[in-house]
Amino acid sequence: MTRIAHLLRELGRSLYRNFGTALSSFLSLALLLLLFDVYWAAAKTSDRFYAELLSGMRMEAFVDEAVPDSTIPLMKNDIDLIDGVLFSGYVSKESAREELSRLVGSDLLVGYDSLNPLPRSFVLSFSSDYLTSAKLAEVEKKLAAMPGIANVYYSSRWLNKAETTRAIVLNIGLVLGALILLSALISSTNNIRLMTRTRAVGFLQMRLSGAGRLFLALPFLLEGLLISGLSAVAGWLLLFYMRGKIAFTQFEVVFPMTDEIVIFCAAAAGLGVISGYLGIRKLLR
Amino acid sequence: MSQGAVVELSNIYLKSDRGSQVFRDLNFKLESSRSAVIVGGAGSGKSSLVEMLVGLRRPTSGSVELFGELVRAGRGRTVRRVRKRIGGVGGIFSLVPSFTVAENITFPLVIAAERKKVIKERLLRMLTEFSLLKQAGEYPDGLTRVENTLVQFARASIANQPLIIIDEPLAGLDQNTFARVLSYLVKVSLSGRSMIILASEPPPQELPNTTNYRIDNGVLL
Repeated sequence: MTRIAHLLRELGRSLYRNFGTALSSFLSLALLLLLFDVYWAAAKTSDRFYAELLSGMRMEAFVDEAVPDSTIPLMKNDIDLIDGVLFSGYVSKESAREELSRLVGSDLLVGYDSLNPLPRSFVLSFSSDYLTSAKLAEVEKKLAAMPGIANVYYSSRWLNKAETTRAIVLNIGLVLGALILLSALISSTNNIRLMTRTRAVGFLQMRLSGAGRLFLALPFLLEGLLISGLSAVAGWLLLFYMRGKIAFTQFEVVFPMTDEIVIFCAAAAGLGVISGYLGIRKLLR
Repeated sequence: MSQGAVVELSNIYLKSDRGSQVFRDLNFKLESSRSAVIVGGAGSGKSSLVEMLVGLRRPTSGSVELFGELVRAGRGRTVRRVRKRIGGVGGIFSLVPSFTVAENITFPLVIAAERKKVIKERLLRMLTEFSLLKQAGEYPDGLTRVENTLVQFARASIANQPLIIIDEPLAGLDQNTFARVLSYLVKVSLSGRSMIILASEPPPQELPNTTNYRIDNGVLL
């Protein structure tokens, strides 16, 4: 108990005597982690936006003119068996004409009542895990190889561009995240190093009395844990407060789940422990 | 190591950082309940000897044994165990600037995970014995040099460590404190604890159970 009381007293003394350094450490870390939180929420929001866009993705397989209507149910069965196909709808020539009429108006079709050059087709939708360019390309191949299918169309170029953009954003996010965490680590380490700089004499005396490295380091590890953990919590609280104040009408901001936030705060506290150790390492040699 | 030896240095050779020979085949043994006064001039190697004893410095060759354990600088557990059994005053031993007088004195008991009640009792005894009651809550930078030395003596006594190392115990003391410290040294040398006193001048009176040595040219005479 006396050792624990001593450790807590040391922690309190360090924070009290170096209040300015501790406060600046807390604020700078809170800002850095807030930046990380904002990026995380933005990434989650754009992910949902992307998923919503992709969920509307369809592939259309056009039926050869020579294929009799009686074969259509068989073809539909074969298409439904393709991996990833969630739903396939048949579009007859008449339905296609009605759709065209709906889109461009009936005036343009006057005089073409007896003609209908529009092809029959199947419109396919996919399960979310198949909405990638690689998997859709596989489906396209399978469809193209099916007898009676004349042509397959989907927005492959748009999908490729969207995927490339998403990958770039993700990579930037990873680099940014790594930079933010590195900055947080360096900032916290330097602050703890500043706090320990004047204590070399005291450290030597404690060691000469038989104090172990862990015993000496523990107050600083706790300090790192406390400041980083609280900074992470403060960052999220600020973000939640801002969400309550600002309303977006065009889209909804998606926040990470509660358990993800808790894990993030715990990880930030862990980062604080590491920075505490790095800050004090030299004195422990 | 022979039975009952608190310190045993065997065939110690030590080179300084500059390359000069500090010790040449130094041999020293201190039996339990015995004390030693080691006298040597500036640069004779007294501080190096203390540094070797507390595991801060490794000899070039030879062995350092304390309480039957081989002490090697950098070997954490053994060094820590040995340090807990040593009380130190002066030289490399000083006070922790961020601790109050009371915290400095009780630190060996905190390290030993002693109970709070015992710590309080012993602290009170030490503060009374060394006339430090008024200074208990002060920090070292507010103490006089004499008070600082007395606090170190109190710290070296509170846990009844079996060995006390004292570097220049009588230097710079006023007449009154000089007499008090001298009587303290006599008391410790009769208490069954062992003591190593390092000084540039021998004490003005012979201490009981004590052998006198002189460091000269890297050897103990």
